[in-house]
Amino acid sequence: MSMEDYDFLFKIVLIGNAGVGKTCLVRRFTQGLFPPGQGATIGVDFMIKTVEINGEKVKIWDTAGQERFRSITQSYYRSANALILTYDITCEESFRCLPEWLREIEQYASNKVITVLVGNKIDLADKREVSQQRAAEFSEAQDMYYLETSAKESDNVEKLFLDLACRLISEARQNTLVNNVSSPLPGEGKSISYLTCCNFN
Amino acid sequence: MYGVCGCCGALRPRYKRLVDNIFPEDPEDGLVKTNMEKLTFYALSAPEKLDRIGAYLSERLIRDVSRHRYGYVCIAMEALDQLLMACHCQSINLFVESFLKMVAKLLESEKPNLQILGTNSFVKFANIEEDTPSYHRSYDFFVSRFSEMCHSSHDDLEIRTKIRMSGIKGLQGVVRKTVNDELQANIWDPQHMDKIVPSLLFNLQHVEEAESRSPSPLQATEKEKESPTELAERCLRELLGRAAYGNIKNAITPVLIHLDNHSLWEPKIFATRCFRIIMYSIQPQHSHLVIQQLLGHLDANSKSAATVRAGIVEVLSEAAVIAASGSVGPTVLEVFNTLLRQLRLSIDYALTGSYNCITGVSTKIIKEHEERMFQEAVIKTIGSFASTLPTYQQSEVMAFIMNKVPLPSSQQSIEAGKAGENRNRLTQIMLLKSLLQVSVGFQCSNMLTALPSAFLDRLLSAALMEDAEIRLFVLEILISFIDRHDNRQKFSTISTISDISVLKLKVEKCSRQDTVFMKKHSQQLFRHIYLICKEESNIQAHYEALYSMLVLISIELANEEVVVDLIRLVLAVQEIAQINEDNLTAYNRCALFALGAAYLNLISQLITVPTFCQHIHEVIQMRQKEAPYLLPEDVFVERPRLSKSLDRLGPEVFFWQSKISEVLGGSGYNSDRLSTPYVPQLTDEDRLSKRKSIGETISLQVEVESRNSPEREQRAPAEEITYETLKKAIVDSVAVEEQERERRRQVVEKFQKAPFEEIAAHCGARATLLQSKLNQIFEITIRPPPSPSGTITAAYGQPQNHSIPVYEMKFPDLCVY
Repeated sequence: MSMEDYDFLFKIVLIGNAGVGKTCLVRRFTQGLFPPGQGATIGVDFMIKTVEINGEKVKIWDTAGQERFRSITQSYYRSANALILTYDITCEESFRCLPEWLREIEQYASNKVITVLVGNKIDLADKREVSQQRAAEFSEAQDMYYLETSAKESDNVEKLFLDLACRLISEARQNTLVNNVSSPLPGEGKSISYLTCCNFN
Repeated sequence: MYGVCGCCGALRPRYKRLVDNIFPEDPEDGLVKTNMEKLTFYALSAPEKLDRIGAYLSERLIRDVSRHRYGYVCIAMEALDQLLMACHCQSINLFVESFLKMVAKLLESEKPNLQILGTNSFVKFANIEEDTPSYHRSYDFFVSRFSEMCHSSHDDLEIRTKIRMSGIKGLQGVVRKTVNDELQANIWDPQHMDKIVPSLLFNLQHVEEAESRSPSPLQATEKEKESPTELAERCLRELLGRAAYGNIKNAITPVLIHLDNHSLWEPKIFATRCFRIIMYSIQPQHSHLVIQQLLGHLDANSKSAATVRAGIVEVLSEAAVIAASGSVGPTVLEVFNTLLRQLRLSIDYALTGSYNCITGVSTKIIKEHEERMFQEAVIKTIGSFASTLPTYQQSEVMAFIMNKVPLPSSQQSIEAGKAGENRNRLTQIMLLKSLLQVSVGFQCSNMLTALPSAFLDRLLSAALMEDAEIRLFVLEILISFIDRHDNRQKFSTISTISDISVLKLKVEKCSRQDTVFMKKHSQQLFRHIYLICKEESNIQAHYEALYSMLVLISIELANEEVVVDLIRLVLAVQEIAQINEDNLTAYNRCALFALGAAYLNLISQLITVPTFCQHIHEVIQMRQKEAPYLLPEDVFVERPRLSKSLDRLGPEVFFWQSKISEVLGGSGYNSDRLSTPYVPQLTDEDRLSKRKSIGETISLQVEVESRNSPEREQRAPAEEITYETLKKAIVDSVAVEEQERERRRQVVEKFQKAPFEEIAAHCGARATLLQSKLNQIFEITIRPPPSPSGTITAAYGQPQNHSIPVYEMKFPDLCVY
């Protein structure tokens, strides 16, 4: 009998400017809620969800966008398997900051990290400031996977996390072939990144 | 499922049965105590089974969590805790794996209760000291999660506080668990420290939030009184207390970054508090590392706003005081160098109005008063650093600062032009201020070591600068050196007190070293006092400083000879005002008169010669009657009443040298000396550097150096001998100078008056001299090749006796002209 209720464990960190809807995305995915009037995240927030594909468990660290928490949020990139870089399609500024975020990723995150670009708030299409094409071009140039979502209408949210999960699993599988030694790690292992947390019993 | 287990209980392994039995039918009933005892006993008697028990328990717990049966979850945790406590350290190792898995599971839950439950268990576990190392235990998740809990933003304030508190406790647990175990993931790695430290600081920061919440007295039980702030502080202290030499940097860097990010340098209260905590809790031998990091941070922030820099510097000064002797560490001068560099940068910023002098493009507006505040802060910090140093290092530091003061005589690049001048002046003032700050805290009984010649020379040459402010600083610095018994305050105002016993002076007999010091430097000091008296830009503060200086020399350093010299000096100062060669203002003159009166009044009472006292007293009384504007009480007030008729004063209001030498001579003072008026030895240096602003002096300086040297050499031997010799040397050199002048005058006269033939003849004589010299040179340069060394020495010895060589040639007389 399985001791754990999951086969894979991934850490996903959401980053992006303040107020682009990172927390709402996570809430929508993990709890199915869209809390109106969500306050600014302080430091970091943690959510967990087990995804049905192959019994994968994703630990999602939702970070604060505010500048003053930058140092602590940066410390969370380091061990992330995937980063969801979020911007607000109704806010040109949040899009223009993306290169800066990419620099941070390069600096602090592991080099094997998978980055996804997400344009949030497509429910406010009439206020759109960043065209889809522009974002698509940008993501292509940066070799990122790109998606537009709405946490409010729950558009593409599920798809975003599930697609990401699939990609993470396939990457992890490749890695397990190479590195087949695995050990049970309580809490979380240093080498957890691409190892399966296997069953022992 | 539970029921099923019960049915086939007999078929299950024993440990599973025992575990199952501790769970009651109804979770409300709590742990079944008797069965728990059985389980504990079993675990103790068969420790090899512990890991399986743990695994099974955790399996049940995970199941219960996912089925939301929280009652059972609590029971399972309680059982785990008890087992953990009961079991011996050696056997715990395998059990811990499943224990941690369960804690992690609880922490992953969204329910605050479970998070807190998990944390509490973890804390209990953290307090167990394990003696077996564990190789592959990792606390990454715990650190991340606990840090996240510290930042909890739960809607309910009470729950939020609870979660934050357990976050802090959890971090404390992780630290305790890992800090001493080198095999485990190094908690001091930046990746952990970057999470732990900001989380603690974040909670530390929210005092006001925690206080506004102040629970109603009913709820305020002992346990609840503790706020996250206090807890965070305790945890931070514990963390820092355990930091070893190599870890300090990783622990302090996040603090600096946090303060930067949350812009907490500016009100600086929090920053100061943080560093107080740090300095008090860190191991004292490491405190200089913190100081170094702060200094480094200051350097890194040299382009930030002045308020930020001022904040850092103030924190530095606080920290330096706390760290006391250990604050500076091995690189004393480096510390001061950094501070002085910041001072200089700030002056530049203030002058250019931009952080970037080269391009001149100022992105931020620099507020001059903020820079001024920053400069004051730096100076204060220099003072507080210096006060922590031992005496010998203090004097080293002072010499270092003194060397940085741009003086006309120094080799430092002196920028010409108005801006450069201004900058130099500001730099001088700032550095002298720092020096003053250091010297105030400086306690050295031996003047010779306190004021080495090189230092004194530089300091005094600064005194001759045109700038009144600089002059005052020099005086203040000297006073703080001389004043070793805290008498200075008693002379901060000039007055003629009729009885000095009210001052309660602390006087010690002048030591031998002091006597030597005065022998060496008294003339130099007196000369400068004299010259400073002559300055027109003096204000009341200067006269007060001069007065303090004279009095303090008399108290601290005087023997009979010095007293005699001081009296002569003061009389000479009186003469300045009397004769008024320099066209001083009425105020300056009155001030000098008043200064003389005040000093003589004091010295007369100090040396207690009745006739002397009487004379002084008479003159002062006369002045009170005839000319009150010559007394300090009338001069040094807000609106001095001055008289224009200073040139028509009767002789009775002056102090007379003859009279004084007469009365003092009677009491065994050297009356010969007293009756000779004081004539300051103006060296070339004084003449040149006086009235010169720094910008113009470079070229002259070379000359000064070379011209000065013979005189210095001349003085050197006299220094070691008695005062008489020194006196003779002074008198002699006056005579020599007199002769020299006379000779020059004659020469000039001769050239002006004498007929051409005479001058030609004179020059002819010199021409032959030139001729012979040339011969000499030719002999030396042309002869040598074949000759052995012997001949050359001979040639040196009697060059005149050599026969004239063939190639010798007479220079026509006219060439000479």
